[in-house]
Amino acid sequence: MVGNKATATAVKLARVQVASAFPVTPQTTITEYLSDMVANGELDAEFVNVEGELSSHVVVQAASRVGARTFVCTSGPGQLYMHHPMHQTSDNRLPVVMATVHRGNKGMMPDHTDLMSQLWTGWMQFYVEHNQEALDTCLMSYKIAEDERVRLPIAFGYDGYVLSYTAEPVEIPDQKDVDDWLPPYKAMPSILPDEVLPENLGGRWDRSDPQKRWQEHHEAIVNAKDVIVEVNESYGKKFGRSYGNGLTEEYRTEGAEAVLVAMGSLTGTARAAIDRLRDDGLNVGLVKLRCFLPFPKEDFQEIGKKVGAIGMIDRNVCLGHGGAAYTQIRNAIYDLEERPSVLEFIAGMGGKEVRVDDIYKIGKKTLKAAKSGGVSTSTEWV
Amino acid sequence: MSERINRLQIPMEELTITPGSACQGCGAALAARLVFKAIGPNAIRHRIPCCPDSTTAHPSANSVFESGGAMLTGTWRGLKAIGRTDVQVVGFFGDGGTYDIGFQSLSAAAERNENIWVITKDNEAYMNTGNQRSGATPIFARTSTTPVGSVIKGKQMRKKKIAKIFAAHGIPYIATTSVGYPEDLIAKINYGKTVEGFKMLIIQSPCPVGWRYDGSKTIAMARLGVQTGIWPLFEIIDGEKFKLNYKPRELKPVTEYLKPQARFRHLTDENISLIQEDTAKEWETLLKSDELGRVLL
Repeated sequence: MVGNKATATAVKLARVQVASAFPVTPQTTITEYLSDMVANGELDAEFVNVEGELSSHVVVQAASRVGARTFVCTSGPGQLYMHHPMHQTSDNRLPVVMATVHRGNKGMMPDHTDLMSQLWTGWMQFYVEHNQEALDTCLMSYKIAEDERVRLPIAFGYDGYVLSYTAEPVEIPDQKDVDDWLPPYKAMPSILPDEVLPENLGGRWDRSDPQKRWQEHHEAIVNAKDVIVEVNESYGKKFGRSYGNGLTEEYRTEGAEAVLVAMGSLTGTARAAIDRLRDDGLNVGLVKLRCFLPFPKEDFQEIGKKVGAIGMIDRNVCLGHGGAAYTQIRNAIYDLEERPSVLEFIAGMGGKEVRVDDIYKIGKKTLKAAKSGGVSTSTEWV
Repeated sequence: MSERINRLQIPMEELTITPGSACQGCGAALAARLVFKAIGPNAIRHRIPCCPDSTTAHPSANSVFESGGAMLTGTWRGLKAIGRTDVQVVGFFGDGGTYDIGFQSLSAAAERNENIWVITKDNEAYMNTGNQRSGATPIFARTSTTPVGSVIKGKQMRKKKIAKIFAAHGIPYIATTSVGYPEDLIAKINYGKTVEGFKMLIIQSPCPVGWRYDGSKTIAMARLGVQTGIWPLFEIIDGEKFKLNYKPRELKPVTEYLKPQARFRHLTDENISLIQEDTAKEWETLLKSDELGRVLL
C-alpha cells in the first residue's frame, strides 16, 4: 500500500466526519482516495472540494468547532499557504489532524522545510518513517489531539514520493477494534445555540491578560508528552504495534558509544547503515526522532548521559540558524554535567539522495568525535 | 417583494448585547440589530475582521480575514455531519471581507451553493482601520489611501457591482437593501430563511466617520442613497429572476446624496455629471431588467 493510501485508510478507520483538501503534488492522491471512499459510501463524511489550501484549513477548523472529527492534508507550497489559519486552529484548541506529505520549499522534491516552517503555529508535529507508521500515527493523532488534557491540533509528516507513491506492506486494523479504541469526538466548549454558555455569547473573550493565552498554549503542548506516551502504549496493546515510547524510538543503542539521530524516511536508510557499522564492530546506535513538537528534551538528556557523541541528521535547515533538531538537541543536553559532542549533518535537502554509505560515514565521524571529544561545531552538508 | 413588506414583521425581541463599541450614528450597528432580529436566536454568527458593529446574543467564532466563505462552509458541513441542520449559519462581514480579501473563498462557497447566509454591511471603505479605500468605495470618494492631492483627487476607479457578480454564480438568492428601509431588509431576511442554499444580502450602511457627515443623519443619508438611484434596492433569484423593489416615479439628483458628505466635497461639476450619467445608465438597465423579470448586466 502506498503512503497516501495508508493515510486515507486511517482517515476512514477514524470515521472522520468532515475532510477538506486542495490537490498539490505529492499529496494529491489522498484527495482522490477520500473522494472515492465518499462517492462509494465507504466513508460517511463531508469531503469539501475547495479552491485553495487556506480554505481547506478553515473548513476543517470551523467543522471541528461545531463538533465534527476532521482531516486536512497538504504538501510544500500548500502548507505555506495555510499558515495563517493554523494559528487560529491551535489557539482555539481544536483537535484537527493534518497529514503533510513533505515537499521542500525549493523545488518539488522532499525535505522537511514545509512543516518546519510551521514551528511557531502551536501545532504538535510528528515525522514518520514508513507507510505503516503513517497509518498508525494518523489514528494515534486523533486519540492524542482529542484527549481532554491536550485538545490541540496535530500534523504528521511523511516524505513525498519516497513514501507517498511507494508501496510497502501495511497492516490494516479492524474497524471494530478502532471503534472500541477511539471514542467519538465532542466539541468543548460547544458553540451550538442551545448548548453555548451565556458568557460565551457574542464571541467575547477575556482580554485582561493576553500573555496568559500564550503561556497556557505552550504548557499544554509541553504537557502533552505524557499523553503521547500513554496513547503509544495503549495502541501497542490494542493493535500490537508501537513506536519506542511514542516520542523517540531507539535502534541498536545498547552499549553504543555514539548515536545518530534521524527523522522521517531517512531513518530507514540509517537503520541499514547502523547494521553495517555494528557488523564492522563500531558501537554506533540510532535514535528516531518521531515527535518533534513537543520536543522530547528528557529523552535526549538520558541518551546524552550514555554516549560520547550525538550526530543529528537534519532534513531541514532554518536558514541562518541551522538544523532545527540539532539546535534543540544541543539545547537539551546543555543541562547535563558531562555533555556529549553534538554534530550537525544536513542531508536530503530538496530530495537529494542519501545513501547507506553516506550515513555509514556520518556514523564513523560521530564515533570519532565520541572518542576524541571537542569537535568543530560547523555544519556538514552531506 | 414590495407587497410582502409590512412594518409589523419587525420582531420585538432584542438580540443586541449592549453596550456595543460602535461609533455614534453607525449604520452597520443598526444593520446588525435588524438582521439578527429577523434571523432569530437559532444561529451561529461568524465574524472576520471588520468594524465593531453590534454584538448579538449568538454563539460566534472568528477566523482569518480572507476565509469568510470557508468558515461558513466548514460550520455548515460540520452541523450536517452531527445532524444539526436546524441551526442557521450566518456570516456578517464588511465590504473588505466580501469585495476584496474575502472574495475568493466566498466565490468558491457560492459556486458550491453551501447552505449559508452571507450578509455584508457595506460602508464603502476599510473603516475598521480608519477609512482606507476598498473595492466598494465609489468613484472619486476621498479615503485615507485615495486622498485629495494636488495631482490625483480621490479614488479613480468605480465600485464593483458585487450583487451582479455573485448573481452570476447562479446562487438561489441575492438582494441589496439599506438601513434606511428596515421593512425591506427584514422582508428579505424572512424570504431568505425559506431558501436552501447560498443566500446573500448587501446592506448599504452609511458611516458618519468615514463619509464625513453629521452622525444624526444616517437614516437620511441611507434613504437618499436609494432615492437618487445610487443604491438601488433589488433582488435576484437563481441568478436570473429580477425584481426592483423600490421604483420612484423620478430619481432625485445625485447631488442631494453627494453634497452632505465631505468625502465628495472636492468633486468637480464634471465628476458629478459622470456619477449622474453612470447612475442613470444603471437605473435604465435595472428598469429594463424589472420589466423583463430577468437580470441584465
